[in-house]
Parts: sequence; C-alpha cells; structure tokens
Amino acid sequence: MGAAAGGLVVENLSVSYGQVAAVRGISFSVPDGGSLGIIGANGAGKSSTLKALFGLVDSRADTMAFQGVSLRSLPPHRIVTLGIAYVPEGRRIFPGLTVRKNLLMGAYRQPWRRLDGRMERVYELFPGLKRFDRTPAGALSGGQQQMLAIGRALMSSPRLLVLDEPSMGLAPVLIDDIAGVLRRLREQGVSMLLVEQNAKLTFGLTDRCVVLENGRVVEEGSSAALRDDPGVRRIYLGM
Amino acid sequence: MIWILQTAIGGLSTGAVYALVAMGFSIVYRTMGLVNFAHADVVMIGAYVTVTFFLTAHLPFGVSLLAAILITGALGVVIERVLRPLESRDLNLMLIGTIGFGIVLESLAILIWGSFGTAVPTPIPNLPLRFGGLVVTTYQLLILAVAGAVTALLFWFLDRTKLGTAMQAVAMDRVAATAMGVDVAASNALAFAVGSGMAAVAGALVGPLLYVSPGMGASIGVKGFAAAILGGFGSIPGAIVGGLVFGLVEAFSSGPLSAYSDLITFVVFALAMTIRQTGIFGERTVDRA
Repeated sequence: MGAAAGGLVVENLSVSYGQVAAVRGISFSVPDGGSLGIIGANGAGKSSTLKALFGLVDSRADTMAFQGVSLRSLPPHRIVTLGIAYVPEGRRIFPGLTVRKNLLMGAYRQPWRRLDGRMERVYELFPGLKRFDRTPAGALSGGQQQMLAIGRALMSSPRLLVLDEPSMGLAPVLIDDIAGVLRRLREQGVSMLLVEQNAKLTFGLTDRCVVLENGRVVEEGSSAALRDDPGVRRIYLGM
Repeated sequence: MIWILQTAIGGLSTGAVYALVAMGFSIVYRTMGLVNFAHADVVMIGAYVTVTFFLTAHLPFGVSLLAAILITGALGVVIERVLRPLESRDLNLMLIGTIGFGIVLESLAILIWGSFGTAVPTPIPNLPLRFGGLVVTTYQLLILAVAGAVTALLFWFLDRTKLGTAMQAVAMDRVAATAMGVDVAASNALAFAVGSGMAAVAGALVGPLLYVSPGMGASIGVKGFAAAILGGFGSIPGAIVGGLVFGLVEAFSSGPLSAYSDLITFVVFALAMTIRQTGIFGERTVDRA
C-alpha cells in the first residue's frame, strides 16, 4: 500500500448515512492491470464503497486516487474521464433508450463520430445484443440488460472496470457467460474491481480479494488463498 | 356538420398553444421531477418580450419571437441556477421557490410594462380563408404551423442530438447518467432553458388572441398545466394530446355556453382525471434516486 501512483488506491475510507456508518475505515488498492474482489453479505458496505468512489454518496478518506489523481478533486460526472467505468448494481440501463443509444451514452465524454469501432467491439464481445440494436433496452431480459450495462461501461474504453454485483438475479448459465466475458477483458489488460456476494465467482475472476463485514475489512489476501481458507469456505462458499 | 369542423379548427389552434405550455411543464418535470410553477409567468414574459420587440422596436415578428425565445431561455437557466441549492435539500422547497419566482416575474412585468394590458395585433394580416363552407383564418394556420415546427424541433433535439439523448438518460436514471459523465445540473438547466423557450413561443402566439398583461400567466398557465396532467404529466406526446384535447373541449363548450366554458372545461378535466388518474399517456414516474 502507500503512495503507489498506479491504479486505484483507497485508504481509510468511511461512509455514513446520518448516524449509521456503512463503511468504517477500509483500505484497498487495485494495481494497474490487476484485479480486486470485494465480497461480503448484504449491508456489508460493498455498494457504499463503490458509490463513494464515484462521488455518489458523501464519504471521508485519507486517500482515494486513481493514477495519482484524487477522485475527490473531480465532480462525479468527471470521474469517468479518468478511465474508470461503472457497472452499477441492478444494471441501471436507460430503459427508454435503444440498445445503441445506451452504448453511446457510455461514450458520452467522447465525440460520438469518432468511436473507432468501439461499438463493433462491444457487439463482438456480446453477440447476443447486436440484433437488439434499435430495441428499447427496457425490453431486454435481465441477462441481456447486464451485458448491456457492461458493454455500456466498456464504451468509454476504461482502464479500470468497476462492477457492482453483476451476477445478481441471473441464472447460473448467464453468470457463466458474464464470467467468460470478464475473463476475456482481464486477458486484454483491463483492471477490475468486482464487488460480489457470489464469492466463488469472485475468487475465480480476481487476483486478490477483501472480505467486508459490517463496513470493515475482516479478511484479505490472494483469491486463491482465500478460496482455500476454511473460515471463508464455511461462510461464503457454504462448504 | 360544418360547425363541428369550424369549432374543431378553433379548438385545435388554441389547443396548440396549450400544448406548447404543457410541453414546457413536462420537459422540466420528466428531467428532474419538479413542477415549475414559474412557467406560467415565463409564458407572460415571453409574450411581453415579443410584443416589445415587435411593436416598440418594430422588428419583424420572426426576429422578435427568436429574441423572446433566447431571453426566456436564459431566464429559465437563471431560475434553475438560483433555485439549484434547494434541489439537493428538498425538492418541495424548490417547488415553492418556483412559485416565488413566478411572483417576482409578475411584479417585474408590472414595473417594466405597467399593470395594464396591451392589445396586440396579429403579426400577419388575419384573413379568412374559405374551404367550402369552412373558414380558417391565416393566423390560426400560423399558430398551427409554428407550434408544429417547434414540436418537431423538440422531438429532433431529444431523439437525434447528443444533449437531448443525455437529457432523456438523466430523466430515466440520474445516477447512471452521472456515472456515464453527464453533468445532471447542466442537463437540468438545459431542460429549464428549453421549456422556457417554448413558453416564449406560446406567449408570442397567444398574445394577439388575448390581452398581453402581467396576470395573463394565471389563465394560460393553469390551462397548460391541466393539459399536461390530462396527457400524463412528464410525457411529451401526452402534453401535445392533452393540449389539443383541452383546446377542443374549451372550443366546443364555448359555442353554446360561452360564459360557462372554463367551468365546463375544468369539470370535463376533473371527470377525466377521476377515470384515469395517470392521464392519457401517463405511466412513468421520475427517477429521483
């Protein structure tokens, strides 16, 4: 830890809603090209952590920086310009806009006339979306909406992809599809911060993991080591 | 039979003005979930500014109208900017703020133009055109043409431009739009500007039909507001249909019972709302998460 310039560095982050503390002084980092999983049960503070990164909730932190730039120095709508893209919990696609326009919104900060085949690359990654190009996104199935939410985030050509529970509410076969796509993106060198309740999925996709409970980091280490940890296995993998 | 068509044409042309007012209400509401009660008085300011450029400065009507659109558009941005600090605290405070802003605008109008109204001539010679037994005036056609053109422009803006697409995205999900890089506050300001610009068009068109006076916002504003609710508050197609239906009901009730036309129109409106509370096109709620 410390003042590493590369990647995402978060030190001593706290988030409170009124009197209720959701995140109590957690630290983590995602090195450039690396990946980190944050696992924990409902209410452990996972989503609040991500919202804090994007300035969507008030937070305090000693450090919260990406590539050496403080996230606090930018208004929420400028965070994406640093190269961080967000796949929010519950997908949050724009239901009344077509699939194509949803993807274009992902590249809002770039000139739409010069996207250099980005949309084609997203469609290549998610071939199932292509035929819904002109369909309102609200008409898609849950799995398709999740793919769209990831595709939309990729439209900004991010260096760091931040995903909030991409497996939520999806059938196992669809989770496998999404895991396959995320693995491909990792191979392409996209850094990843993956927040999940699905520990098995997260261990398989990330280099390192932290385990949150009641807003605190209770375990951390390499994903492989955590997967073999008896305590973690019992609580998060049900074994 | 011909009187039905005749009345319908009159109703559609005033309805087109109500539709413009209703669209201005709806574009702000769908974007930020706020009812902008200053909107009615922006219509009045738009009417006065057009009249001032047209009658006092002797500019062509089209130029006067464009100037009025720009000035009220800027006024919309000012309203949003002044009231913005209230938004994050409580949207109801912002709503009350718009009521206050309306009162300020009305008082300003009295200070600038006096408390008496002005009669405004039609910008083009108001000639009757006969189609068989049907009489359509050139000014009615102008109203329909201008309102239609402005509506088409609004649809083009929302559907075909990047800013318009972003504005729709904000209306659907503010948080996701922010994460994509949209400045929601700027988008809100733009919604106010567009809505207020449309108010100027409504004010300019209705000027020759009514007396232009500081209090004119009350009657046309309430009708535009009711039209927006009738169509489904926040829906742009709803605002158009609501406005036209409102104009038609008013026209048909004012023929035989002119003294009671407002009463009948609003009774019909109230009955329609008890049957379908969400309005004709209404189903969506605005995202405020």
